[in-house]
Amino acid sequence: MNPRTRRIIFSLAVLIWSAVLLYFYSSGRINKYLVPDFRLIAFAGGLGLAVLGLFNLLTAGRQADCGHDHGTDEAHDHESSDMHPVTAFLLMVVPMALSVVWTKDEYSVAALSRKGLYDTPSGITSPFLSSSMPALTLQEIEKSHRKTPDGFLEFNLMELFFTTGDRELQPLIEGLKVETEGRWMDEKVRNPNGTRKRLYRLFVTCCAADSRVIPIILEFGAQPPEFPENGWMKVSGVMRFPLEEGELQPVLMVERAVAAEPPFEESFMRK
Amino acid sequence: MSPDSQQDFALAFLSILFEGAPFILLGTLISGFIDVYLPAGTMDRFLPKNRFRAVMMAGLLGSVFPVCECAVVPVIRRLVKKGLPVSCALTYMLAAPIVNPITALSTWKAFQGQGPALMTSSRMLLGFLIAVAVGFIILKLPITAVLKAKLVDSIEKDNADKADTLALEAHNHTTCDQGHDHKHDHTHEHAGCCGHDHDHHHHEHVHVHQHAPDPGQKLVSAFRCAMKDFVEVGVYFSIGVAITALFNTGIAPGAEWLDTLATNPTLAPAALMTLAFVLSLCSTSDAFIAATLDKFSWGAKLAFLTFGPMMDVKLVFLYQTVLNKRFIFWLAVGLFLSIGSISIFWQQLIFQSK
Repeated sequence: MNPRTRRIIFSLAVLIWSAVLLYFYSSGRINKYLVPDFRLIAFAGGLGLAVLGLFNLLTAGRQADCGHDHGTDEAHDHESSDMHPVTAFLLMVVPMALSVVWTKDEYSVAALSRKGLYDTPSGITSPFLSSSMPALTLQEIEKSHRKTPDGFLEFNLMELFFTTGDRELQPLIEGLKVETEGRWMDEKVRNPNGTRKRLYRLFVTCCAADSRVIPIILEFGAQPPEFPENGWMKVSGVMRFPLEEGELQPVLMVERAVAAEPPFEESFMRK
Repeated sequence: MSPDSQQDFALAFLSILFEGAPFILLGTLISGFIDVYLPAGTMDRFLPKNRFRAVMMAGLLGSVFPVCECAVVPVIRRLVKKGLPVSCALTYMLAAPIVNPITALSTWKAFQGQGPALMTSSRMLLGFLIAVAVGFIILKLPITAVLKAKLVDSIEKDNADKADTLALEAHNHTTCDQGHDHKHDHTHEHAGCCGHDHDHHHHEHVHVHQHAPDPGQKLVSAFRCAMKDFVEVGVYFSIGVAITALFNTGIAPGAEWLDTLATNPTLAPAALMTLAFVLSLCSTSDAFIAATLDKFSWGAKLAFLTFGPMMDVKLVFLYQTVLNKRFIFWLAVGLFLSIGSISIFWQQLIFQSK
């Protein structure tokens, strides 16, 4: 293949990557993939790729000399490659194109299960994840959590999840009237009477691939109401931490559950 | 693949790709410009005369001349041919992809929330120590045990030619500085030099062909070099991300089995080093993959991040342009065992004390 055609093919591959990055950033869909500080880097990367691709596309036919010796028996010319350009193009573009077509910007239940939907708080193994939680005291709980008109303290799911098993915090939160928000999911374990559902949100460290599910159990004491799977809910009730099958579980004894709008940042993001 | 699996794969694939692509671009732009703009003898000037100190300094050169592992092999091939000691060249080759600011930055960013300072510093330090240790071992080996025979012959021939040329030029006058010369038999007069025939038509000159091209041409050349590097790295990154996404979302057969290894203190680093070998990722972006392997221990991730830039499938092929096959085999075994053991020890040391 002549060098000009090879450069055009490579430029197109680079421009396609650039276009996908810039599209996801400008459409806001990138919020589902990356934490905030990576979003701007991705945008800058998209712009940089556009410059690289366009520059090389526009100068593809131009003669260029790097100005130094490559030796007498060395084929190194800054551009030669072991891979056929069309193969390289396809390997770069096809997986990305398929992913753009396939993505729904969220995980299926199977992937959520793998990422901890049915794990207990003690099953979290990352030594760095729990350290990202702010330190809480009784005073801070009262100061830093808003109270709803009907007397529920607004908590986020991560606080309730990581309180489980914490010697200092758990007694403070046990029996407290709380309100929290998350996504609605069927409870597939420890639900003999069919009175339970699960509420979860994702915790993202850098990107969606490293996300973990942060779940709590919702106990209705009767047949739970019907809401769409993965829909956003606001749930109020009394927080309990019963020992079930040898493990502490975060269980919210639900008094009220209503559908809600998704929050601005749907996942918990590393700060 | 079921629609659910497609959806999961796509989300994981795109998120890792969006995260890593800007860092690959940064790395390839810098290495492309270094490749074109950096004169060949620049590195020699940074190295001390003492060969042990020179090896140690070579381990740090990546912080000044940051290149990834794909770009470094052609560079060291050229440098070895131009007289850089093999021990220094190989130390630089192993260390530069890890001990460089772009890799440090990408590791730091990728491990946000997972102890970025600890992972970045451990990776740099381990990469440096291993590369320098290899350099010290190479100091004790004959050049024929390290380099491929064809390259050794080429270097010996070049050295003989240079000695011959110097002897002829020194016979009765000061050296003629024409700025350039050519590989050819010639009997001629250097007008403007000494003005007489040197009668040296029985040998060839091997020399640096230096001329000054148009700066615009150099820029075009640098951008082309960067694009070529980006595409090459992008291909491997794309494959690596696809495999990672399949394991990350549990789609790949064997994902559950891999999970069972994740908690084994000895097998986990071995499994991730094998994965690094197969994935052949670029050091500027591999941290983004390692950070998503959340079931694996910290030490296993360190092994992945140190072993991968030094030895993987594509490097085995690239190394064969410089090194002999026996040396590559023993290098691979040595790196696997040493990096694996140190990572296990490091993990124990850090997390037992916490």
